[in-house]
Amino acid sequence: MLVPINIIVNGEEYHLKVKPNQILLDVLREDLGLTGSKQGCGLGKCGACTVLLNGKPVHSCLILAPYADGKEIVTIEGIAGEEPHPLQTAFAEKGAVQCGFCTPGMINAAKALLDDNPEPSEAEIKLAIAGNLCRCTGYNQIVSAIQSCAPSNSDIQTEKRGKSNE
Amino acid sequence: MRIQPFDYWAAPGLNEALNELDLHGADATVIAGGTDLVLNMKKKNILPRRVISLHNLNELDFVLTDESLDNDSVRIGALSKHADLAENPFLKQHFPILCEAVGLIGSWQIRNVGTIGGNICNASPAADSAPPLLVLDAQLVLASKKGEKKISLESFFTGPGATVLEPDQILKEIVIELPKQPSAGCYMKLRRRKAVDVSLAGVAFQAETGPDRKTLAKVGIALGGVAPTPVRVPEAEALLAGRTLDEAVTKISDCAEIAAKAASPIDDVRATASYRRTIINVFIQRCAQNVLNTLKNSGGD
Ligand SMILES: Cc1cc2nc3c(=O)[nH]c(=O)nc-3n(C[C@H](O)[C@H](O)[C@H](O)COP(=O)(O)OP(=O)(O)OC[C@H]3O[C@@H](n4cnc5c(N)ncnc54)[C@H](O)[C@@H]3O)c2cc1C
Ligand code: FES
Ligand code: FES
Repeated sequence: MLVPINIIVNGEEYHLKVKPNQILLDVLREDLGLTGSKQGCGLGKCGACTVLLNGKPVHSCLILAPYADGKEIVTIEGIAGEEPHPLQTAFAEKGAVQCGFCTPGMINAAKALLDDNPEPSEAEIKLAIAGNLCRCTGYNQIVSAIQSCAPSNSDIQTEKRGKSNE
Repeated sequence: MRIQPFDYWAAPGLNEALNELDLHGADATVIAGGTDLVLNMKKKNILPRRVISLHNLNELDFVLTDESLDNDSVRIGALSKHADLAENPFLKQHFPILCEAVGLIGSWQIRNVGTIGGNICNASPAADSAPPLLVLDAQLVLASKKGEKKISLESFFTGPGATVLEPDQILKEIVIELPKQPSAGCYMKLRRRKAVDVSLAGVAFQAETGPDRKTLAKVGIALGGVAPTPVRVPEAEALLAGRTLDEAVTKISDCAEIAAKAASPIDDVRATASYRRTIINVFIQRCAQNVLNTLKNSGGD
């Protein structure tokens, strides 16, 4: 049995026929070749598979493909414009990426947060990424990378944190 | 972690869903957000042959107030997502206990997909929306092709994962009466990891004063994760109901002890029964303290 779905992924429209038991993550990775989204646990516990569905972060490993019908999806491949997204730059500069496995999901969650709340407090940042595990960085660099993307956060602060990390 | 194949149909509307359930309810499973069901299909705990999806039923994604002469109430559609409910201004004002509890479910990703109807119908003993809804005396509207039926949440759960829901029925909405006098509530849960983990134990405490604003007219205490279903603890409630706020404060530790005794927690890999009992005791004291303080500050002049 195949179910027709229409989805917009990173701005491009796709008309697909999916198996109802297919997981959105598999459609993205296997059918569309967008391998930026990762499968960690496959159980909704690690956040490596986080994509944005109509602007909200979701675990694509727990979503049946037909659920996405008619919706807009953004994966890590669609985050950057001409230039890398400020979050991508900040993550790279602040040592918020080590092995990188959690990074696509982490950046998607952070993007959804900043889109909704451009000046999040540290507590709000921690709450937003609470569903994303990182086994490498210890989170401090991730939180400060996200903080540095708030519009009011002057470059002075960015520099200060950058130095103390070196 | 492949999921076994199944037939799938996404209902375009409520009537269509009820018609389909009338014909095929007995061998179909409904899905809302799927955060419980997909996980269970992956783990091969549930192998449905036929899945009917409710996710397009936007008509069941709402928070509405019903005003009538003697009891105003709020109606929450079963397909409402936790993330929306946690931030709903009307609910935050009248039932902050519910917003707190659903705001603690899973992670942001889970709350953006998981629905309150799914949380209730999945009937986990640890479902976080259940204790607050129990202490708010929530009623459930169950719909089938034959018509609608209203029952109390308390009579809905029959065991872990089991409810009175018939195969042709779905949960349509949840109805809660608005408090007439100052009220306050508090929900606390214990879990191993800050996000994502289901609760090991949850405590809901809700109280409403009488017209004098100094006496406790209603007290609701409910526990999650420490019995086969979420449960209310009438013995502990009775100890506080009818007392003045000042008297009630002096009875908090007795009340917590009664509630902890009433719980029937189990030992498992995540926590021992005695630890869970201790936590219930501590949480009830903290919740009660918090609620009585709020009522004192809001009411007593
Ligand atoms: C990683 C993770 C963390 C979680 N953390 C928590 C937590 O902290 N606290 C907590 O309480 N839960 C938690 N959950 C469980 C789950 O997310 C919630 O119970 C959620 O509310 C389920 O809603 P859903 O719409 O996804 O349900 P679904 O999975 O779609 O459905 C669940 C069950 O309810 C039935 N159902 C759904 N809607 C209806 C309806 N309207 N009428 C009749 N039957 C219906 C389905 O047939 C199914 O049996 C967690 C789950 C995961 C994967
Ligand atoms: S892979 Fe989806 S949450 Fe871990
Ligand atoms: S960088 Fe390795 S898991 Fe986060």
